[in-house]
Amino acid sequence: MTEYLLDMRGIVKDFNGVKALDGIDLKVRAGEVVGLCGENGAGKSTLMKVLSAVYPYGTWQGQIFWDGHELKATSIRETEEAGIVIIHQELMLVPQLSVAENIFMGNEITLPGGRMNYSAMYKRAEELMAELKMPDVNVALPVYHYGGGHQQLIEIAKALNKKARLLILDEPTSSLTKSETEILLDIIRDLKRKGVACVMISHKLDEIAAVCDTISVIRDGAHVGTRPMSGMDTNEIITMMVGREIKNLFPREEHPVGEVFFEARNVTCLDVNNPRRKRVDNISFQLRKGEILGVAGLVGAGRTELAMAIFGCYPGQYSAELWLDGRRISVDSPRAAVTQGICLVPEDRKRHGIVPLQGVGANITMAVLGEYARHGVINAEKELCQIEKSIARMRIKTASPDLPIRGLSGGNQQKAVLSKMLLPNPKVLILDEPTRGVDVGAKYEIYKLMFELVRQGLSIIMISSELPEVLGISDRVLVIGEGQLRGDFINDGLTQEQVLTAALGQSAALAA
Amino acid sequence: MTTRDFKRFFSQYKILALLLAIAMIWLFFEQLTDGAFLTPRNFSNLLRQMAITGMLASGMVFIIISGEIDLSVGASLGLLGGIAAILDYTYQLPMPLIILIVVALGIGIGLFNGYWVAYLRVPSFIVSLAGFLAFRGILLGITKGTTVPLESEPMIMIGQAYLPMMLGNFLGVAVFALMAFLTFRTRAGRAQHGLAVPPLWQDLGKLGVIGVLIVGFVYTLNQYEGIPVPVLVTLVILGIFSFMANQTVFGRRIYSVGSNLEATRLSGVNVRAVKMLVFGMMGLMAAFAGLTTTARLAAGSPSAGTLGELDAIASCFIGGASSRGGVGTVYGALIGALIMASLDNGMSMLGVESFWQMIVKGAILLLAVWIDVVSGAGSER
Repeated sequence: MTEYLLDMRGIVKDFNGVKALDGIDLKVRAGEVVGLCGENGAGKSTLMKVLSAVYPYGTWQGQIFWDGHELKATSIRETEEAGIVIIHQELMLVPQLSVAENIFMGNEITLPGGRMNYSAMYKRAEELMAELKMPDVNVALPVYHYGGGHQQLIEIAKALNKKARLLILDEPTSSLTKSETEILLDIIRDLKRKGVACVMISHKLDEIAAVCDTISVIRDGAHVGTRPMSGMDTNEIITMMVGREIKNLFPREEHPVGEVFFEARNVTCLDVNNPRRKRVDNISFQLRKGEILGVAGLVGAGRTELAMAIFGCYPGQYSAELWLDGRRISVDSPRAAVTQGICLVPEDRKRHGIVPLQGVGANITMAVLGEYARHGVINAEKELCQIEKSIARMRIKTASPDLPIRGLSGGNQQKAVLSKMLLPNPKVLILDEPTRGVDVGAKYEIYKLMFELVRQGLSIIMISSELPEVLGISDRVLVIGEGQLRGDFINDGLTQEQVLTAALGQSAALAA
Repeated sequence: MTTRDFKRFFSQYKILALLLAIAMIWLFFEQLTDGAFLTPRNFSNLLRQMAITGMLASGMVFIIISGEIDLSVGASLGLLGGIAAILDYTYQLPMPLIILIVVALGIGIGLFNGYWVAYLRVPSFIVSLAGFLAFRGILLGITKGTTVPLESEPMIMIGQAYLPMMLGNFLGVAVFALMAFLTFRTRAGRAQHGLAVPPLWQDLGKLGVIGVLIVGFVYTLNQYEGIPVPVLVTLVILGIFSFMANQTVFGRRIYSVGSNLEATRLSGVNVRAVKMLVFGMMGLMAAFAGLTTTARLAAGSPSAGTLGELDAIASCFIGGASSRGGVGTVYGALIGALIMASLDNGMSMLGVESFWQMIVKGAILLLAVWIDVVSGAGSER
């Protein structure tokens, strides 16, 4: 029994009756690196939150054995004391504090009277840095002096300082450059030799293959299998990750597709915080009239950034050349995009889609309000007419158009945001995760609408993390991985395996 | 009525809660002053006291709705008032020209602040704090720290004159006719577009209430000297700004910028221009307030408008504007200003020392916003 350092058995976690985890097992030996793989939304993060007691004992079923004893932790503090430390994808460092202060945050070595014992902390921090092969780091300098790669290692130093015996790394390389990634993987190998176990969640199968001893795959909240890494090839892993048939949830309808209508060339976006890294790396693509172009890829691949660059709202430095209907257009702001016929329904509905305090109606007419006004004065009746038309067309369920939109369900909010972006009569409509957080019924209606629109001659770019959705709706599929265009497929007999293989960077897929 | 119903009722009809608060304050002072508080004469005084804060609050409320703050308006009020006095005393310009210059300067100052906030992305707190210091400094420089008297009679009239009774009556009737016209135009518009028209008695009832209020207002002020000019100006601003807030594209934009700037920008709205113009309006209000202050004192004082920005900001918050932006009304801000003026006026009549007045006003501000937070908490999530 004590063969395993960590032994999670039959973990079940549900949210309001929806099972996010359905009987998952995960076993880790001391000094072992386990790769945890699965599609977006498979339940990887939920499992790690159960393990680290973000979801305390009692809110889930199953058992966790830690070092031979059952662990019933109710707070992160308890799991950290036991030696389980999670490093989140988004780093949790305070940029203005020094490296040493960050490493000792919440764990400070103090002198009588609560004064910080800087000399002791600096000494220990330097030891940790040396251990992580970063002796050059000045532990007294603020963290913001160091780049993403160093910051990731500082997080690890912080974990080691807590006497971590099991490190959970959630997408640790998602914001690192290639060479920074190499350093990190080296460190993980080094820790392994020192007996520290590691669970690594990653979409990058080559990294998993490079450091992991064992791989565990979960899919739709269920445990698919655990295999030793040696002897596995990435195709097998992909088959394990996908492994399901597309159910007929998608009302795909035949529609004519015309000539090339929109083209984006050489789109490049630099990371806002780490400008050496390209979030989107020189992507070019074409879009035909009346076409639904699916954009697939894993979370963080650069799809949203690509959309933002086309819509003129990418926050960092970027460049893009756009052609619409044979003419070169310049889009330097969302305003310019909308007036030239490009509309975007953003991914993050709460932050970028709705104006929460305003009525459903005011949200719908926001982009075209000027059309209902003369000399800046709104003709309320004319506006209300359009609002009622939109509400009826989309079947938005609201008691009144004046009701603040924040009171509506996710699906109805999404329909309102869609209505808003249809009123300017766009020629190209970009939908970023159009069905996220939307119930099945509303999803179906949104798909129906998309087909109605393309039949009217609109061209749609649909970004989606749900492969079945991409394959069920699109005419053509672009696959993006690590900021690069990894595939451009006609969606005719295309399989999830092909798309995922391309997304993960397996060059074989490009032949299709 | 359970507490929850009570809360919901007041968060829905905030204005009723505010009017109730005013009624309570007035009755309280009426009781303590043995009937000297609610006289036509004091009512007139009260309104004249609140007019200047009211003008500032009318501009400030849009700044707060758009999610910003402006600490410089007291200083720009002083500066613009001082310039008006200098133009009158030193350069002897005619009144219309002085008004034109001061208004243009006011808008200019506002747009300048707005440009720094919207385009150069300096937080409005900092921009206006800089203005708070610099504008007062300029004022002290150009007046050399002395008070500049006004000479021309028409300038003084702006702050001190009353409307002739007949004109007051006529205006009352005209406003009522306008309201009736707008009501019936809305009804016709809705019918024309095939929308549901509210029952006639409902609209007539509303007009009836408006009529009674107008008659009461004009009659009470005519009992004393008539409608004071600054009060008239404030009411005109109330009308125009309320119309702008509810019926124009620009008004709608201000609210949506304050509620969710990013979503508004991504809908193709030029959010920077909206912010800059809001500051421009604030500048215009500072010009009106500056002219009124100078005219009322019959002099440009280097200390005019000191802490005026804080009274204006407090009025907005008491009147239901949200410190997180996106919420607020002009009439709310004016009622807030009226509450502040009532407290000042009532306590002065009672001979309460001024330090107590400051303490009470501070406490009322804290209390009003707390009530707002508590009553709004349920609907937040």
